[in-house]
Amino acid sequence: MSAPEVYNISQGPITGHAFNADRTQVAVSLNSNDVQILSRSGNDWNTTETLAEHDKIITSIDWAPNSNRIVTSSQDRNAYVWQQTPDPQTGRTIWKPTLVLLRINRAATFVRWSPFEDKFAVASGARAIAICSFDPDNDWWVSRLLKKPIRSTVLTVDWHPNNVLLAAGSADMKARVFSAYIKDVDKRPAGSVWGEKLPFNTICGEYTSPSGGWVHAVGFSPSGDVLAFASHDSTISIVYPGGPAIYTIRSNSLPYVTLTWTAEEALVAAGHDCQPVLFTGNASGWKAAGSLDDTSAPKSAGGARSGFGGASPVGRLNSAAFNTFRNADSRGLGSPGGANSGGSGDTELFTVHQNTITSVRPYEGGPGAVTKVSTSGVDGKLVIWNVSPVGALTAKLNAVRIQ
Amino acid sequence: MSNVLRPYLAAVRSTLTAALTLENFSSQVVERHNKPEVEVGGSKEVLLNPLTISRNENERVLIEPSVNSIRLSIKIKQADEIERILCHKFTRFMMQRAESFIVLRRKPVKGYDISFLITNTQTETMLKHKIVDFIIQFMEDVDREISEMKLSLNARARTVAESYLIAFNP
Amino acid sequence: MEVNFRKIDIDAYDEDVLLETELYDADPRAPSQVIEETKAKAVAVRSSLNKGDITGALVTILDNPPYGPGVDEAKNLTLQTLVTVLNSTKSSDIPNVVKSLPLESQDILMKYLYKGMAMPGWGDVSGSVLLGWHEKLTEVAGTGSIVRAMTDRRLV
Repeated sequence: MSAPEVYNISQGPITGHAFNADRTQVAVSLNSNDVQILSRSGNDWNTTETLAEHDKIITSIDWAPNSNRIVTSSQDRNAYVWQQTPDPQTGRTIWKPTLVLLRINRAATFVRWSPFEDKFAVASGARAIAICSFDPDNDWWVSRLLKKPIRSTVLTVDWHPNNVLLAAGSADMKARVFSAYIKDVDKRPAGSVWGEKLPFNTICGEYTSPSGGWVHAVGFSPSGDVLAFASHDSTISIVYPGGPAIYTIRSNSLPYVTLTWTAEEALVAAGHDCQPVLFTGNASGWKAAGSLDDTSAPKSAGGARSGFGGASPVGRLNSAAFNTFRNADSRGLGSPGGANSGGSGDTELFTVHQNTITSVRPYEGGPGAVTKVSTSGVDGKLVIWNVSPVGALTAKLNAVRIQ
Repeated sequence: MSNVLRPYLAAVRSTLTAALTLENFSSQVVERHNKPEVEVGGSKEVLLNPLTISRNENERVLIEPSVNSIRLSIKIKQADEIERILCHKFTRFMMQRAESFIVLRRKPVKGYDISFLITNTQTETMLKHKIVDFIIQFMEDVDREISEMKLSLNARARTVAESYLIAFNP
Repeated sequence: MEVNFRKIDIDAYDEDVLLETELYDADPRAPSQVIEETKAKAVAVRSSLNKGDITGALVTILDNPPYGPGVDEAKNLTLQTLVTVLNSTKSSDIPNVVKSLPLESQDILMKYLYKGMAMPGWGDVSGSVLLGWHEKLTEVAGTGSIVRAMTDRRLV
């Protein structure tokens, strides 16, 4: 398995990332009110454009691959759709924002284009999801609100491939499947495992997280017949609505906050334990297949660690081994075997990401056959991982433990 | 001593690691605000169960997690009146300078001697495991600091008493 | 001027607000049934302990524990029984016992350890015993189990 591609985009957190269709550009928000569009030049990403219109922190970005439009959501309660248009004065191509009438009065937390790119869903802290569609008469985006029975901030949404159903996860510990059918936009959808008749705001499914955690991430499988959600109680649940079965995987590590399906029987989840983990299974059971990260050794040899081990030469009792044991004794640091996050004197974790991964998205390969995924996180890194076949990973399953 | 303390600090370390799973979370009660939910307490669903780690009645740690912030309060061991005074002075000194410590809270939670408030901004700008290390180191040092202060206080008292009483010794 | 109205917590009257009782599904069992079951379990645990079957005793007491309001007596009895089991286990046996527990029981044991530590000096609760168990349990069940002890509103 080849090594992941790692790009250091910033020192601070990356709050969201979205690639364009051919993966030559990426839109990121660096924990600020602006979106930066980075273009690839060789092995670097350079800022080519800054989209400034929001006046609070941006929470989520999505880039529609075919219509080449960007939608952003922010804690200032607004969303904007950005479209490339020629500037009337200079004739240069610029990104022009269009305001969206969200009609929500709290932060917008998450945004995703629908598969056909004619609608998008904005999750919000107003206990509602705004389903937005374009109104050509007035040249703006109008929204309809999914409100009932959401009781708390909606943290995440995901579209069903049929462009009508929408899954949402919220802080009231539930994952739900709604119908977001809009009469003027959508054709009547064919019936599926989620139901036959689907007027707007039909609840096709409601699932509680097993031990009461907020639902951080939801995802439909490529066929749309299976739903996975990750919640703050460190579990991943996979729901088969047809055969009434829910599989729950309890992780012995920190909670996952993001997930994406790579195939009909595999998904990648990542979160607070700083490494993407592959899960595989089918209607008869699911399990963790292994980490995409190699956590057996520090990533930059010498690098950040030399400040402590390298500076004190021989003759002192202050060696690395001595420190390890002293720390184990006096401060209760975990034993070396179980602790890959507990660096004693060093400042580096053994994972590629040095802090929480907040977003994982497909990078290469179509739906159902994703071969690469991209992740971004609080540490300001953008990483592209190979999703290798399952067999190569099972041996590394033991390395997934943290403390 | 360290060997006795080890399971206690290990428990604090693992609990704190588990609690420091924070994210940016905008208030769902007040428009366009973003504040530590553990201090506001407005929405029940974004607060988690507070956990206590204790060695005995006099030494315990309370960790109150929420979606975007955690509050950690420490009850420092105080065996006698002198330690109680020293501990009070020591924590007071620190808390008056709380902004230099970034994660320190200006006022302890009721029933505890000193409190820390860690928010998602701090876990984003600082390394998470280093924050944990800092807290553990603090807990370790504060015990030692107080017993050292007690010793030097006693030594000083002895010297003072000696030089005072020497006047009466022909 | 009347200013007391400023002190009214208007957010409490928001009809959308999520109440404490809505955060989890209530225990379907009646309180009287719960206390009966707990007493029966306490007896079963004692007989398991006499046979030296610590894992069996733990699984029995950690199965379907009382939670929610109105069952304080059953909760206390469960904690008391559990503490007896914990205290009577040799510290060298703990890792193996913990490993042989099912995942569900591990999570519930974690909840009880924190409950015990929150009330030091109650009954036979001893901080050092609980901390010893906590350390071994964390090695096996990981931080994930601690996270679940925080998130699960079904307080034991």
